[in-house]
Amino acid sequence: MNVFESILLALDAVRSQKLRSGLTLLSIGIGVFGIISATSIMGAFQLAVNGQLADLGENSLLIQRTPSINFGTNWAKMRRRKNITYQQAKEFRDRVSTTSLIAISNTAPGYIIKAGQESSNPDVSLIGIDDLYTVVNAVSISSGRSITEAEVNTSRPVAIIGQDIVTALFPNIDPIGQLITIKSQKFVVIGVLQPKGGVLGQSQDNRVLIPITVFNKYYTWEWDASVDIAVKALNKQMLPVTLDESTGIMRSLRSVKPWQENNFEIDTNDALTGQFSGFTTALLVVAWISGLGALVAAGIGIMNMMLVSVKERTREIGVRKALGARKRWIVRQFLIESIALCQLGGLTGMIGGIAISWGITMLLRSFNMPTITYVFPTGTVVFSVVICTLIGIGFGLYPAWRAANLDPIEALRYE
Amino acid sequence: MSKAIIDIEHLVKRYEMGDEEVYALRDVSLTIGDNEYVAIMGPSGSGKSTLMNILGCLDTPTSGKYLFNGANVAEMDDDDLASIRNREIGFVFQTFNLLPRATSLKNVELPLVYAGVSAEERTRRASEALARVQLADRMSHKPNELSGGQRQRVAIARAIVTAPCIILADEPTGNLDTKTGQDIMSLFSDLWKAGNTVILVTHEEDVAQHARRIIRLRDGKIESDTQNHHA
Ligand SMILES: Nc1ncnc2c1ncn2[C@@H]1O[C@H](COP(=O)(O)OP(=O)(O)O)[C@@H](O)[C@H]1O
Ligand SMILES: [Mg+2]
Repeated sequence: MNVFESILLALDAVRSQKLRSGLTLLSIGIGVFGIISATSIMGAFQLAVNGQLADLGENSLLIQRTPSINFGTNWAKMRRRKNITYQQAKEFRDRVSTTSLIAISNTAPGYIIKAGQESSNPDVSLIGIDDLYTVVNAVSISSGRSITEAEVNTSRPVAIIGQDIVTALFPNIDPIGQLITIKSQKFVVIGVLQPKGGVLGQSQDNRVLIPITVFNKYYTWEWDASVDIAVKALNKQMLPVTLDESTGIMRSLRSVKPWQENNFEIDTNDALTGQFSGFTTALLVVAWISGLGALVAAGIGIMNMMLVSVKERTREIGVRKALGARKRWIVRQFLIESIALCQLGGLTGMIGGIAISWGITMLLRSFNMPTITYVFPTGTVVFSVVICTLIGIGFGLYPAWRAANLDPIEALRYE
Repeated sequence: MSKAIIDIEHLVKRYEMGDEEVYALRDVSLTIGDNEYVAIMGPSGSGKSTLMNILGCLDTPTSGKYLFNGANVAEMDDDDLASIRNREIGFVFQTFNLLPRATSLKNVELPLVYAGVSAEERTRRASEALARVQLADRMSHKPNELSGGQRQRVAIARAIVTAPCIILADEPTGNLDTKTGQDIMSLFSDLWKAGNTVILVTHEEDVAQHARRIIRLRDGKIESDTQNHHA
C-alpha cells in the first residue's frame, strides 16, 4: 500500500477528530519538546563551561566574581558582588607567595575580526591576557610567540589568533606579521594558537588573545569589567595550600568580614567539573523522565485514536478484505498511519524545542554566560524521530492487528 | 455444461445464537460452469447471502465441500483466500461499498494495488474498466458526486478490473430505481455475453429473468434449479 495514501489518511483522522488528536499530538509534542530542549540547553552549557574547564590547567584554581553556573544560587546577590578589577587582581598576584604562576584575563564574546576584505564569523571570543596566560592555562602557541610582559605593560596592539581566524582571514598566507582589525583598532598578529578542535562540535579555536591592558582600554565597557584569575599551584600537594592562601588574600582584598561568606568564587578544576556534571546530569534525568512519561501517555492516546479510526473505518476494512487485501497489508496501512501521527506530533515538539532552547541560549548569552553557544541537537532530533516511530509501531500494533483480524462479513455489514 | 468453476457438495452453514442453532444453509449441492449466468432467488432469510459469501471465499461452511476451480477451499489459508478474492472473484454489493474519499479511478485501481500491479498499468487497466461501464468521463469524480446508478457501475468496473473468473453480485439493484436497475442488469448481460460468469442474488422476479439459470432457495435448501428460457 502506498505510504503517501496512508499519510493522507492520518491527516484525515486528525481532521475528523480535532480535539482528541490535537491533545494527543500535543502530548507527543511536549515529550519531544522536553527532551530536545533539555538536551540542547545542557549541551550549550556543557560547551560554555567545558571551554573554561578545558583551558584551566592541572592543579589550578579559577577565581571569578560569579560562578560559571548560576542556577540554584541567588542571582540578585551575585549581581551585587563588586567586580574583581584588574588592579585588585594585580595586587592579589603580588601577595601570593606559594606560587608565581598567576594569570589575569577577561573575556568578551561576539566580535568580528577583519583583515583587508576578509572577515570572520561574528562570534569570535576576544580574550584580554597577560604574559603568563599561556603558561598557567592549557593553551599553547603553535607558531609565532606569546605576548610579553613589556607588551602588556605598554599596551601594545598585538594579537594571538585561533585556527578558525587563520582559516577565515589568512587561508593562503602566513598570518604572522599581518594586520587585523577589531572594532576599528588595528593589531599585529604575533602568534597562532595550537588548534584544540571542538568540544562536542563547538570550536575552541574561534578566539583572539590581546594584552589585557588593551582589552581594558577598548573593549571592557561592552562587557563585564570583572577579570578572571587563574592560579596554578606548584604541584598536587600544594594545591590545598595555594587554595587556602588565595582565599585568604581575596577575602582581605575584598574586605570580607570573618563571619561573612566569600563575595567571589574560587574553585579547583575538579570542583568545577564535579559541580557542573552533577547539575547537568540531574537536570537531564528529570527532563528525560518527564519527556518519556509524556511520550508514553501520548502513545496511549495514539492507540485510542487508532482504535477509533479502526472502528470508524470498519466497513472500509471489510471492502478492502473483500477485494483481496491480505492481513499484513491492513496491518501495514494502520501502522503507517499511526507512525505518521506520531511524527506529526514529534515535528511540532521538535520545532518548539529547538526554538525555545535557541531562545534560552541567546538569553543566557546576553545576561551572564558570554561563552555559551547554541548547539543544534542533531543527535536528539534523530533520536526523537526514532522514538516517535517506535511509539507509532508499539502503540499502533494492537489497533492494526484488530483491523486486520476483523471478520470481513461482519465488517461489510457494519453501519 | 462446460468445466465447473464452482462445485459444492452437501454444504451446511450453522449459526449458534446462545442455545439456539440457526441453519442458514442445509445440505446445498450445486455446480456452476464457465460463462454461466445464474440468479439465486428466495425469500428474505432463505440463505442467499450466506451462500454468496461462501462462494466468494469471505465465509467458510460449517461442513460440506467447496471446490473452486478444482481446488479445495477448506485447505486454503488466509493469504490464499485473499488472493482468490483478489484475482478470481469480483464482488458487487447492494450498497456499492466504494471508498468515499477516493475518486472513481482510485476505487477501481484498489484491487490492482493488492494484486501488486504497477502504478501505470493500474491506471491503464482501471481506465479501461471504467470505459467498459461507460464512465470514461467520470474518472476523477468521487462517489458523492455520482448518481446511484453511476456508483454501482464504478463498483462493477472495480469487480471486473482484475479479469476474474466470476462476478458475484448480492442484490445489485436493491438500492436503485427500476429504470436504473434495468441499465445495470443489461450491463451484467453484456459482461456475460463477453464471456464472464455472473452469479447474482435477487428477490425480484423481473431482475432474475435476465439470467439463464434460476436457483430458488427456501429455508437454506435448494427448492428448484431451472434453466430460464425467457431471456
Ligand atoms: N452472523 C449470523 N449469526 C446468526 N445468524 C445469521 C448470521 N448471518 C445470517 N444468519 C441467519 O441465517 C439465515 C440466512 O441469512 P441470509 O443468508 O442473510 O439470508 P438472505 O440473504 O437470503 O436474506 C437467516 O435466518 C439469518 O438470520
Ligand atoms: Mg441477503
